[in-house]
Amino acid sequence: MTVAAGDVAPRVKTRRGTPLLLVLGVAALVAGFTLPWIAPSKVAMSLMAQSLFDALLATSVGFLVRQNGRVSFGQAAFFGLGGYVFAILVARSLVTPEVALVLALAVPTLVAFLFGLVVARVTGVAHAMLTLAIGQALYEIAFRWRELAKGDDGMSFDLPARLFGLPTRGLQDPAVMVVLAWSILVVALLGLKLFSQSRTGQIAAAIRDNEERARFIGFSTTLPRALVYAIAALIAAIAGTLQATYNGYIAPQMFHWSLSGAALVMAIVGGAKFIVGPAIGAIVLFYIKDLAGQFAEYWPAIVGTVLVVVTLVMPEGIVGLIKRIGGLGQRR
Amino acid sequence: MLIQLLNGVVYGGLLYLLSVGLVLIFGLRQVVNFAHGALFMIGAYIGYSVAAAGSWWGGLVVAVVAMAIAGCVLDATLFRALRKQDHIVTVLVTFGLLLILETLVTVIWGKAYLRYPMPDLLSGTVDIAGSPFPVYRLFVIVVSIVVALSLASWLRFTRIGLYVRAASTDARVTSIQGINVDRLSLIVVGLGTALAGLSGVVAGPLLSLSPTMGNYILIDSFIVVVIGGMGSFGGAFVAALLIGQIHNFGAIYLPWAGTMLPLLLMVGVLIWRPTGLSGART
Repeated sequence: MTVAAGDVAPRVKTRRGTPLLLVLGVAALVAGFTLPWIAPSKVAMSLMAQSLFDALLATSVGFLVRQNGRVSFGQAAFFGLGGYVFAILVARSLVTPEVALVLALAVPTLVAFLFGLVVARVTGVAHAMLTLAIGQALYEIAFRWRELAKGDDGMSFDLPARLFGLPTRGLQDPAVMVVLAWSILVVALLGLKLFSQSRTGQIAAAIRDNEERARFIGFSTTLPRALVYAIAALIAAIAGTLQATYNGYIAPQMFHWSLSGAALVMAIVGGAKFIVGPAIGAIVLFYIKDLAGQFAEYWPAIVGTVLVVVTLVMPEGIVGLIKRIGGLGQRR
Repeated sequence: MLIQLLNGVVYGGLLYLLSVGLVLIFGLRQVVNFAHGALFMIGAYIGYSVAAAGSWWGGLVVAVVAMAIAGCVLDATLFRALRKQDHIVTVLVTFGLLLILETLVTVIWGKAYLRYPMPDLLSGTVDIAGSPFPVYRLFVIVVSIVVALSLASWLRFTRIGLYVRAASTDARVTSIQGINVDRLSLIVVGLGTALAGLSGVVAGPLLSLSPTMGNYILIDSFIVVVIGGMGSFGGAFVAALLIGQIHNFGAIYLPWAGTMLPLLLMVGVLIWRPTGLSGART
């Protein structure tokens, strides 16, 4: 993982690839509208929506690994924060629903940016611990502060009747939510791809590969890193807000480190080196878990084994494996 | 007040037993062992099963030996292979291991909370400054002091201790000097996990046994290691006692902040001194 002169070439190539990317994106968006018809039942559709929330969260943590080279055990902090800010503001009618939505996305992003400014310099275990700390701290607050949102019991809330002039009834209908979540996922993946090709994205990648050298060339290394934290948090916050809206319910578990850990596993299994990897990992794991229903008791061990095997044997994850198989076919 | 202070020392002592194992493993193998809490828990469960069969002290011995063997196996199979890998990889692999071990415990012993018995010999109380104090808690303090002293003198005065300190500073240079770092680390990792088993058994009668018992104490002992400075034995000792006191007094005087205080302390220390109190290596 060194920045060599060779890395300049793909940049030129990717620029040319941007229209293709947009075409692919539009095609994916259109394809999204078929999802409600593919799903055989409301339950299947609901599962699909849940898997897409997972996919967004995994994309968020995977982006952090890919772009900053840092592992976070606390990405659920921003997932939960998004859901909580939205739910609490709406439930108490403190602001209009539109403002609540904007704050639900802006607050976690800002918190993550400030957090990023502090932790950007910290590496290794200390970094893992700090990210864990922010998630667990928020979990403790949500858990203990009963007046805030009923603590451990979680809180149900009613959606406002209208959001940006549109009726919100559909947001709790799986058919609508599947299409919405899918569209957001596609746009998010596209956005991340474009970011990673942008100047700032390239600088962030250079800092990941060799921070000292990047600083030596004259780049500020803290700011791009903090920006990556903020973008990752924004995506997590979107996922959290979507889930809270869909379920009409929030609970402290949304902050818990086991959720952060699960998202990290999804990202790694899918292949955090690729932007689509974490989302694919999340969806694959979600459906394997669903199929493994009767072995639910052993599920953590299954995930653990998969994680160990993937990390040691195929560090590029599912997407890396697919690419390698595809590459073999081309060469022949 | 004195009693509260002693209670803090009890928890600090347990944390020390656990975090010094983490420091040993990190020093030699550069592996951040997320599965350490799971080993602590399995030690407790093994001790529980033997104690339930009749002998509390037998449980202590069996758990420590079993965990030492487990550590040697882990080192030979997994940690050796991970040595050259990135930190991220080792974190992920040991995290996967944690998930596997937790499930193993659920399958063998179930999810229900179990009550670990106390040995008859230590079940009484003594008077300290006019208040009763359980003998067992004194026993925990004594165990951690004995371990701390013998570990410190082992590292300081023996030849192997010298090798361990050298290898923790720079494993490659040490092996160039003709020391078999792989064999050394077999001993050291085995010792680290044996200490996890020991603290599991010793903590058993104080906490109740559950498949998640390892998680909270693992987070606390990671905090200890980070505050003390990665790879520092002395730093871990000081930080463990500090966190023990904070944990205890926090629970009494600031119950709403409870488990957050150690986290906040860690954040503060890291901002103040990014490499921890001992400030040596990163």
